[in-house]
Amino acid sequence: MTATISTGSPRGSGPSASTRPSAGSSRGSRPSAGSAGSPGKIRRSSREGYKVNWGLTVLMLLASLTIIVPLYFTVAMALKSADQIGTGTGLGWPNPMHWENLAEAFVATNFPAHFLSTALVTVFSVLGSLATSSLAAYAIARNWNRKFFRGSFVYLLSAMFIPFPVIILPLIKQTALLGLDNPAGVVFLHVLGGISFNTLLYIAFVRAIPAELEESARMDGATTWQVFRKIILPLLAPMNATVGIFAFLGSWNDFLLPQMMIADPALQTLPVVQMLFQGEFNTDYSLAFASYLMAMAPTLVVYILSQRWVLSGVMRGAVK
Amino acid sequence: MNALLSRRSLFKVAGVAGAAAVLPLTGCGSRAGVGTDGVTTLRFMQNKPEVVAYFNQVIKDFEARNPDVRVVQDYNEGNFVPSLVRNDPPDVMTRGFAKETADFVHKGIFADLTGLPAASAIDPKAQELVNSWGRYGQDETSAVPFSLAAAGVIYNRDIFAAHNVAVPETWDEFVAACGTFKAAGIAPIYGTHKDSWTLRQGAFDYVTGGTLDVAGFFSRIYAKGAKISQDAPESFTNNFGPALPQILQLAAFAQPGAETKNYADGNAAFAKGQAAMYLQGPWALSPIIQANKDIKLGTFPLPATNNPADTKVRVNVDMVLSIARHTPRREAAERFLSYLLTPEVVNSYNQKHAAFSPLKAAPAVVDPQISGVAAHMAEGRYYQGAGTYFPPSVPMNNYIQSLVYSKDSGRFLADVDAEWRRVAERTAI
Repeated sequence: MTATISTGSPRGSGPSASTRPSAGSSRGSRPSAGSAGSPGKIRRSSREGYKVNWGLTVLMLLASLTIIVPLYFTVAMALKSADQIGTGTGLGWPNPMHWENLAEAFVATNFPAHFLSTALVTVFSVLGSLATSSLAAYAIARNWNRKFFRGSFVYLLSAMFIPFPVIILPLIKQTALLGLDNPAGVVFLHVLGGISFNTLLYIAFVRAIPAELEESARMDGATTWQVFRKIILPLLAPMNATVGIFAFLGSWNDFLLPQMMIADPALQTLPVVQMLFQGEFNTDYSLAFASYLMAMAPTLVVYILSQRWVLSGVMRGAVK
Repeated sequence: MNALLSRRSLFKVAGVAGAAAVLPLTGCGSRAGVGTDGVTTLRFMQNKPEVVAYFNQVIKDFEARNPDVRVVQDYNEGNFVPSLVRNDPPDVMTRGFAKETADFVHKGIFADLTGLPAASAIDPKAQELVNSWGRYGQDETSAVPFSLAAAGVIYNRDIFAAHNVAVPETWDEFVAACGTFKAAGIAPIYGTHKDSWTLRQGAFDYVTGGTLDVAGFFSRIYAKGAKISQDAPESFTNNFGPALPQILQLAAFAQPGAETKNYADGNAAFAKGQAAMYLQGPWALSPIIQANKDIKLGTFPLPATNNPADTKVRVNVDMVLSIARHTPRREAAERFLSYLLTPEVVNSYNQKHAAFSPLKAAPAVVDPQISGVAAHMAEGRYYQGAGTYFPPSVPMNNYIQSLVYSKDSGRFLADVDAEWRRVAERTAI
């Protein structure tokens, strides 16, 4: 769980650095694109000196290849038959395409059941992460002058320094004693594992919200809970998106924790079930990629739908 | 009033969310055991993801004959150690048998199968492959073999026929055959030296297994413990030293550029007929066939000496069956294990997967791909690869790879002896 955190933080700063120029250029291109119908405006925008930054554009095109090329391979591999994989450079598009790979992988992995398990784990991990971290961050940020809250902040942060593999076996023992050797336990540990990093993100954000906003609400008779629910939580929206995205990706793609924690194979999550295609010596690449593709689909859909928030959210996270 | 309401609604939300999270999951996650309907549920952990479908069919047949038992197959072997930590291991399991499983045997994780009638059908020679690793409580049978893989030299029958080369029976004949292929411009052996395990599995295990008593050597060196030194008669230097020139000679028969090829490359290239021989076990047969349906393959044991009677084949105990020692479902577990040991199940599995049945009354192997080693298997002329005896903390694959690259035998022997002593001091092996 701390492992997901430590990979989370560079992920947070990495894309933000590269997305900043793209966000800037899209802002710049908006007037010209929006006014394509009226020639007058186009002339004006060119007079204003709107220029395409070719250097950056080429750089971004190259950067986008890091996503497109592996995605192309995934799709191409998923549609190949075993002998099509063995021949050629691997770059070629399969002809004929073997759509039946998808169906076969769907049946072999018992996709619907494990998809449901993965989805439940992910949904509750995301909701749990959002709820616990934002509440903790609000409490800590607004009580910064008290020792107990400062201490709990340090306590939460210190969890980030414990490498996950060190504690995995004791954790398995504990969760088994508590009857949590199932997806519910995985949810619990995902929420717990993300809490330090997520709280850190939220605290920085809550501090930037002026206390006067709350004071005015209190003047109107709002309780602490109402202040949080009605004032703070809506203002936290960009940070909720950031935390939600990290929690979603970490939870959806997690392999180690479900593999070791979930005792009942029927409740196992998709990344673990997909091991089915990897033997000790040989891998069934076409079925493996077909099932990876199906497992990736929700992530892609979520990303396409929430692209705007992903970008803005990631940038908020970068400037702590 | 307001505060009360909102606090209550908060609890309500939290309660509903919590219940929703836990209920459906624990609902279907009820522990395996005797259910209310009198059906016992067994957990069966199986170590080969590629044969899940075969065992699903076996389980179906078993359940049809035993309506009071339900078997759940689990191929997530990574969950085995956690299940021990949870004190809830699978009831019946299959594992590959080598050092790691032997360690579990020594710790008494598995039940004693000595008296089990079905276990008496096992060939004692095959059982000895398991028992030679040490038994729990001196005489317990913790695991019974289910499938043996015989690894030798896979060869392309068409290339052999085209150059009038017969299957070599002595080392000199083997070297001569390699010379013939080389002269004809064909790589004698396809080397995949980039994947260091293929060097260990191939050249290293074949030569050491064919020229010295591997099991005896390791029982002596394990007995010596941390007191081992390079000049001791038990050391690697004094036992493996003479085999090294032959290993290097064998590795040198590989095609130029073998250092850049991995196992998958090797399968693809061998399927295209780019070499005459391939030092791999039967697991490589199916990817080769998959890449080229028309290729005619055979297997022969590497003759490491000039006396054909010495020639042995490397055997891998691919699958053993065990029962968890403290399972409360022992009776059902024994019934299922006995069913797995019936000739129909064992023999059809091994036939289907180019492996050898460990039963006394195993049918003759006719599969032309592996029939070349059938006689050796039947006569018990086999050994377990030296590489399988090392604890995982000795990075043997890398040492062998650097031996092949640097050809520095003295350095290799000194390194392995020192490494063995370090690990022995640390872990008291």
